Parts: sequence; structure tokens; C-alpha cells
Amino acid sequence: MRETSVHIADRRAQRLALGALYVILVVAAFLSLVPFYWMLISSFKPLNDILTIPVTLVPPRPTLENYQLLLTQTKFAQSMFNTLFVAGVNVLLQTFLCSLAGFAFAKYRFRWRNLLFTLVLGTVMIPASVQLVPNYILMANIGWLDTWLPLIIPTAANAFGIFWMRQYMYSVPDELLDAGRLDGASEFGLYWRIVLPVTRPALGALALFVFTTSWNEFLLPLVYLRSEERYTVQLLISNIFRQRFQQNFHLLMAASVLAIIPMTILFATVQRQFIAGLTLGSLKE
Amino acid sequence: MDVKVLEMPVTAPARRIRWDKLAPYLFISPFFIIFLIFGLFPIVFSGWISLNDWTGLNPPVFIGLNNYRNLLKDPDFLLALRNTVVLLLFSGPLTIGGGLLLAVILNNRLVRFRNVFRTIFYLPLVVSLIVASQVFSLLLGNPFGLFNEVLARLGFQRVSFLTEPSLAILVLVILITWKYIGNDLVIMLAGLQSIPPELGEAALVDGANARQVFWHITLPLMRPVILFDIVLSTINTFNIFAEPYTLFSLSGGVRQSGLVTGLLLYRTSFQFFKFGYGSAMAYILGLIIFVLSLIQLRVGTRETER
Repeated sequence: MRETSVHIADRRAQRLALGALYVILVVAAFLSLVPFYWMLISSFKPLNDILTIPVTLVPPRPTLENYQLLLTQTKFAQSMFNTLFVAGVNVLLQTFLCSLAGFAFAKYRFRWRNLLFTLVLGTVMIPASVQLVPNYILMANIGWLDTWLPLIIPTAANAFGIFWMRQYMYSVPDELLDAGRLDGASEFGLYWRIVLPVTRPALGALALFVFTTSWNEFLLPLVYLRSEERYTVQLLISNIFRQRFQQNFHLLMAASVLAIIPMTILFATVQRQFIAGLTLGSLKE
Repeated sequence: MDVKVLEMPVTAPARRIRWDKLAPYLFISPFFIIFLIFGLFPIVFSGWISLNDWTGLNPPVFIGLNNYRNLLKDPDFLLALRNTVVLLLFSGPLTIGGGLLLAVILNNRLVRFRNVFRTIFYLPLVVSLIVASQVFSLLLGNPFGLFNEVLARLGFQRVSFLTEPSLAILVLVILITWKYIGNDLVIMLAGLQSIPPELGEAALVDGANARQVFWHITLPLMRPVILFDIVLSTINTFNIFAEPYTLFSLSGGVRQSGLVTGLLLYRTSFQFFKFGYGSAMAYILGLIIFVLSLIQLRVGTRETER
């Protein structure tokens, strides 16, 4: 009798506690989503409806005019294209170089291997801010200012990518490589035809991580790019904001929506790899 | 992070041509070549620049440690350091504590729709800092921002979040918490999932309540992960640039209330082109971050060895 009443009280307490957890989750989720909602609806409001009191939660006169203005009056489409290109090159270059080096560190025995790998990891501890000024002077002297090369070449030395790929390379059985050698494959052939296909999931996570970083990068484009036709999308958005004196929130919100679309699509389609990539990213930063 | 390299058993000595002796060096060489040029050389070069009075237009003049001496009594630098530390003291506990709280909830098997919630919390991570900052400058604007509308409806006064000096750091805290809490959640969830659930269940069977399980089992086991996250947040905060740049511009806002170290470093180097002074600043900040990274690596190593 007493037992059961305790049990009932227990269960009620448990249900209450669970309810509290849901309240926390729902409130947090709401706060997480509000900026997205605001961005989206503001992008469909004419500027006058954005700058008005009381604020409207649903666009009273929804319009696609902002998008039209953005695509015809600014170099936004061009900047999307530029960013896609730079990010694409970064993905190809970094997945290639990182997996190649990761393969070497995991599957070959060679002199100074441990020392060299420790060196690779050690490079991570160098704060990027220290490299900014000297690299700028270097780029100025080799004529790379206002090109995409400073956004591509220095970041190709990706120590975390190497570390990441090396971990996966261990799972490639040595027998597979030996069989390949017996078949007369070259060392590079082993990497290209045997190792790469096997480590595709790890490559995918790395590719996503590189793409996200590259797509969202702001400081490097700001430092190095001058001509508007070479702007990346982040730099262009930032410049819509500061170039003119009037408010540009209608254009900004339309641009923001379009700029996060590629990331959102990637996130939605390959969420698992994405989360692996995020974990990798959190290690990096 | 695992720094030790596992020794691989030698299989099939395969004494073929020298290619397989040379191959690994070739495979790792791109990294080292690029790093030498764009990683190592800049570090050394930067050290030399920091000893010079060098603005973009004039040739460098050697002045020894003067840049460092001037920095330590530069009110802007001290203000930026102070603002950054204050920002860290507020945003750190919020993102780390919030991330841990959400992770503990989402790690509870009784909670339904965990994947949906997790996805929602990760969403801000895909948004670029620039976009996030723009949206928040709209949300926080006075009088047309949503925040102010809510305040007004609740009967409070409208607040000029973006121009009121005492609120500048708060604005950054709000933005950073929204943007990065998912990052802390990723880390905390990974940590929690490595704790065997039997531990907590055994304690529950022994009569412990959920709160006791959290304080006496989960939290102690999560300590390395939390430490790691604290160091990570600290480093990130010292590097923050795009957010204050968008919200307060290079000036740092009214009375430089939003001036943080990343902003000052950029402004010194690329608005005023004081390369020498900027390099000295980068070195001091770099030293702070380097020490923190060492701790991070130590903590991380201990974590993976566990």
C-alpha cells in the first residue's frame, strides 16, 4: 500500500521532471529558430515593412522584389559562383593532400615518421593571427593580392585533415595493400585505387568540413580581395551592409537566405557526415 | 588528441624498387612545403617585423622592443583585452553550461524527438558569422527590431542595444551563445556518449536520484571534456572578429565599447597599416593563445588515453 503510493509519487515526479526537460528543450529550440524565421520573413518584406512599428510577424505584403534587386543590382550571383569555386577547389585539394599524407603516416614505416607526424600536429598550435601580417606582405610581393590564391594555397596544409585521415587509414588492411603490390600496382596506384575508395566516409566528413569552413570564411577574403567581381559571398554581404548610407536590410536578408541555402541543403542531406565534420571542426577551433 | 604513433607491424618486407622507400616522403611533402612557405616563414618574419617601425608606405626602421613596450601601456590594447575577458566570462559559462545542459537532456533516452531537437540546435552552426551578425543587428535594432517589439509589448522601455556602450558586450554574448551553443553541444554529447550508461543506471538502482547521478557520476567523468571545451572557447573568443566588425564596425562602436582583441589587431594592421605594431600585438595575443593551446593539447591527450 505504502509502497505503491511511493511509486505513484515517484512516477508523478518523474513525469514532472520530464516535462521540465521538454520545456527547456522547446524554449531553446524556439530561440534557436527565431533568427532563421526572422531572416526568412524579412527577406520577403519591402524595406518599408521591415522598418516599421509595430513589427509584423508575417509579411503584410510579401514580395520577391528583394531577391530580384539583389540578383540584378548587385554582384551577388557572381559572388555565389566565386565562393562555390573557391570552396570546391579547397575541398578537392585538401581531401587529396590530407588523405595522401594520412595514408603515408598510417601505412608506411619510414625514418623520422614519428617526428614528422608530431611536427604536423605541432603546427596546429601556431595561432593564425600571427601569420596574418607577414603573409599579407608575402602575398603582396608575389603578386597574389586580389586573387583567390591566398584563400586556397596556405589552407591546403591542413594538419587536422591529415590527423583525421590517418586515423581512418589504420582500418585499411595491410593484406589489401600487399595484394595490390603483388598485382604490380604503383605506390600511388595503391592509394588511388585501393585506399581512397575504402576511406570514402572519412573523406566525406573532411570534405564537408572544408566546404563549410571555406564557404563561411570571412577574414581572408576581407584582407586579400579588392575587386568586387572576385568577392566571396560573405564579403559581398558584409559590403552591402557598409557601402551605402541607407538601410539595406531587405537586400541583406535576401542575401543571407540565399547564402545559407547551400549549407542547409548539405546539412539536411548528409547530416551524419556533417556531424562528424562538426566534431572534427570543434577539435580544430 | 593522440600524439603517439602506433607502431605498425611490418608485413611483407616487399623489397621492390626504391619507390616504396621514397613514396611516403613524396606523399607528405606537399604539407611541409606549403607549411614552410606560408606557416613557418611568416612566424619568423613576423617576429622580425614586430621589432620594426613599419607602416605600409615607409621602409622598416629597427626599434627593438619599443612596440612591445608601447603596447603594454596602450589604452586601446588594454581596453580590448579587458573587453575580451569580460566577453569570455559571460559567454563561456553560457555556452559551456548551456551546451552541457542540452547534451545531458538529449542523452536521456526517455526524451523523445531527440534527433529533431539536436538538428535544430546544430542549425546555427551552418550559418556564417557574417550572416548571423546581420540578422542579429536587425533583431536587436531600435526601434524596428523584434527584441524591442517584445520589450515594448511587455511594458518595458525600448533599448538601443547597438549604440548603448554598456550593452555592447551583452550583444556579443547573445550572438555568440546563439551561434556556438551547438558547438559545445557536439563536444558534450560526444563526451557523454563515451560514458557507459550502466554506471548511472547502477546508481539509480542503488537509490540515487537523477540529480545525484549528475553531480557525482556524470560531472566528474565529464571534467576533461569540459576543460577541453573551456580552453577551446577561450581561444575562440580571442579570435572573434567578424561579429564585432559587423555589429560595431572597425571603430569598435560607441566609446569603443565593442572593441575586442581580434578587431583591434585587424584595425592596427590593415586599416592603419602599422605592420610592426600589429605584429607585436599578434605575438602577445599569440603567446596567450599558444599557452592555452598547450593546455588544450595536454587535456585532449589525457582524454584520448583514458
